[in-house]
Amino acid sequence: MLARMAANFYWLGRYAERTENTARLLEYQLTRLVDTDADELALGWRVVYRALSQSPPHAPADVDEAEAFLIADAYTLTGGLVEDTTNPASMISCWGMARENAREIRPRLPLPVWVCLNQGFLWLQETEFADAWGEGPAALVSQAIDRLRLLAGVVDANMARDDAWRFLEIGRYVERLQQQVVLLDMWDRIARPDGDGLVLSWVDLLRVCGAFEPYRRDRSLTLRRSSVLGFLLRNPEVSRSVRYATDRIGSALRGIDPAGGRPPLAPPHRMVLRMAAALELDPGGAEPPPDGASAEVFESLTRDSRTLHSLIQTSYVDYPVAAGLPS
Amino acid sequence: MSSVKFVDHGYADPDPAISAGSGPFRHYELDSAFHDELFHEDGTPRARARRLGAALSRIPPEDLERLQDGVYRRFVHEGITFTVLGVEDVSEQIIPIDCVPRLITAEEWDHIERGLKQRLTALNLFLHDVYHDGKSLRDGIVPLDLVLGCPQYRVEMRGMKVPHDVYVAVCGTDIVRAGDTFAVLEDNLRVPSGVSYMLACRTAMKWAFPYLYRAYGVREVADYPERLYSTIASLSLTADTPRMAVLTPGRYNSAYYEHAFLAGEMGVDLVEGRDLVVHDATLFARTAAGLRRIDVLYRRIDDDFLDPVAFREDSVLGAAGLFHAYRAGNLVLANAPGTGVADDKALYAYVPRLIRYFLDEEPILANVDTHLCREPDGLAYTLDNLAELVVKEVGGSGGYGMLVGPHATKAERKAFAEHLRNDPANYISQPVLPLSRAGCFVDGRLEPRHVDLRPFVLQGREEQHVVPGGLCRVALRKGSLVVNSSQGGGCKDLWILRE
Repeated sequence: MLARMAANFYWLGRYAERTENTARLLEYQLTRLVDTDADELALGWRVVYRALSQSPPHAPADVDEAEAFLIADAYTLTGGLVEDTTNPASMISCWGMARENAREIRPRLPLPVWVCLNQGFLWLQETEFADAWGEGPAALVSQAIDRLRLLAGVVDANMARDDAWRFLEIGRYVERLQQQVVLLDMWDRIARPDGDGLVLSWVDLLRVCGAFEPYRRDRSLTLRRSSVLGFLLRNPEVSRSVRYATDRIGSALRGIDPAGGRPPLAPPHRMVLRMAAALELDPGGAEPPPDGASAEVFESLTRDSRTLHSLIQTSYVDYPVAAGLPS
Repeated sequence: MSSVKFVDHGYADPDPAISAGSGPFRHYELDSAFHDELFHEDGTPRARARRLGAALSRIPPEDLERLQDGVYRRFVHEGITFTVLGVEDVSEQIIPIDCVPRLITAEEWDHIERGLKQRLTALNLFLHDVYHDGKSLRDGIVPLDLVLGCPQYRVEMRGMKVPHDVYVAVCGTDIVRAGDTFAVLEDNLRVPSGVSYMLACRTAMKWAFPYLYRAYGVREVADYPERLYSTIASLSLTADTPRMAVLTPGRYNSAYYEHAFLAGEMGVDLVEGRDLVVHDATLFARTAAGLRRIDVLYRRIDDDFLDPVAFREDSVLGAAGLFHAYRAGNLVLANAPGTGVADDKALYAYVPRLIRYFLDEEPILANVDTHLCREPDGLAYTLDNLAELVVKEVGGSGGYGMLVGPHATKAERKAFAEHLRNDPANYISQPVLPLSRAGCFVDGRLEPRHVDLRPFVLQGREEQHVVPGGLCRVALRKGSLVVNSSQGGGCKDLWILRE
């Protein structure tokens, strides 16, 4: 397929995943509004904003980040991440970018996929945020999540498992990989005993990642930090674990590689296998390493996932002409 | 869409009792100056329209409204749009679609089809002649300076062998019914657009009026993408199964939806200039797995932008060296560069002569009377009768750069006269045509509106095919004669009847 189309499928996957990630984090926070005290809510907003690499809201110069979230109201904080078209990370912006990518690949995109994506975007664009808020703070993002999951289902049901699908998968899971690493790292930094000294629930982390039920089945209700992080890093069956993302990326890259994964491997494929090995061979094994080591794991995962993105670009999209000539 | 109940009464027998000006057609005002597609001058329905009229008379206006809305939403959700470039932003707009089909009888269509084939054959012969022997120019059939002075004349094409001598593989010809006859208004031989709207209208109408559609026995147009593919593929010199692509200027182009639609339907890549590389006089597309050769390019960008080396050097829409690959015989372009010389509005006036000269036949389809302002008599006549004429730029399109005399103010006519005097060769004039009117559903009423018709003709290596349908454009503003979508026009489905 055309390199530009591959890039657009990749970015479509990334933006759709990014939109859902934002919606999921917001849903977690907004459902807590009714029964959580102000300090905890402010902490929740810090988590959401940091996980999305967003700056804290504007606040007087003499207040720190924690206080800034205490001052700001939920309506404004949510609006900035949902409907603010000047914020490139807002849901409307990301959905719009996904739609623009989809427009570029319309000849390769099944019509039901386009219609579902387009209808969702038009729905969000036409929804009055203030009215939607009146139906309940979490109502809008919950509906958005439903629409995004419908889109995932329509994609799943309508797309052939060809290179277009593979680039879409790679985009989706590279985004998930990067977002999950940021979320786990940030959660761990805040929640660990030598961290900010604030209380963050490991159950909440599992819930945000849609992993509470599988965790409970797999490890009962033993909610130790090491156990939860280990589960979210290395479990191969939980869709929001880091291991799951690297496996899916590796599988898609194997399909794209004309040699079918036999050496010599393409650079992105080598990188993702290296990441999988680093996760597997970490001294912590099934359990995460003792305190102090996991920061290095997160650091290397962050660095490697960025490198992986660059390698995908240079290997399949922006390669030199001479390298692409038929032999 | 699914919530709209079927209101189609196409199974009902034709009802001779319906008439213009009464019942559901009470707002339908006939005007003897214009041919009406639904009714005779006395208000009785034409034979072909009886079933349609009966069906429309049985559908409550609110149901028609729902159908119209359903069709509109279908276009919105499927993104059947055209792009409008504003001063500050780019917006996507839906082309308004009217839910009342226009009907053309088999006999009428036979006449149009034969005329279109004849016309395209003559124009392809003329283009070959222009770029080779120039016999028609030397024999004075067409003035030499008209051709050489045309901005669309490509000297780079002189003496070049075009695959199978097919310069124009895809043609869209604008036809109007004025009085009781059909006449050609203009030929579009470069990158004619609108075929995707024809197909979208048809899909929508089949959904809206399934029984009526079946009862009428309408000729099918759905195979257009296959025919387009086989037509263009047949021009290939290098491969039995050529690797084809559609070249688009990109998603900000007004016809981008159509480019994407056709590429998708044909199962070929939709490429932009940035996807293309020319190496060793061969065109390649950048794929995720390296460079892949392209044998045939259905290009939807103008000549000027094809290749910055050969044509406009500031173009970023084409690919450097593309024309070199074409000249080397390693690439087929459809349509060929330089075809614009034959769809210039001034040259249009000479097409009947060209048909007689190249084919030794009388033109089947008439031309509209055209005055060439490049000629002193033509200029004088135009200036003297500006208030009664339509004046157009010879290279203009989309309804821009024209003056509709009867609708222009005195000041506008005066300003336009200045343009005419300063650059007479750039203009032609024609009488205001009494475009026929077809029934439309506008603002909850059935009323007549002016329409034209753009059928599409495909010319392959051996076969010629006229699509039994076309883009029927409609001037939705009451009294307006301008059907262009950029000027408030919409479209409607065109039903060519089998019998």
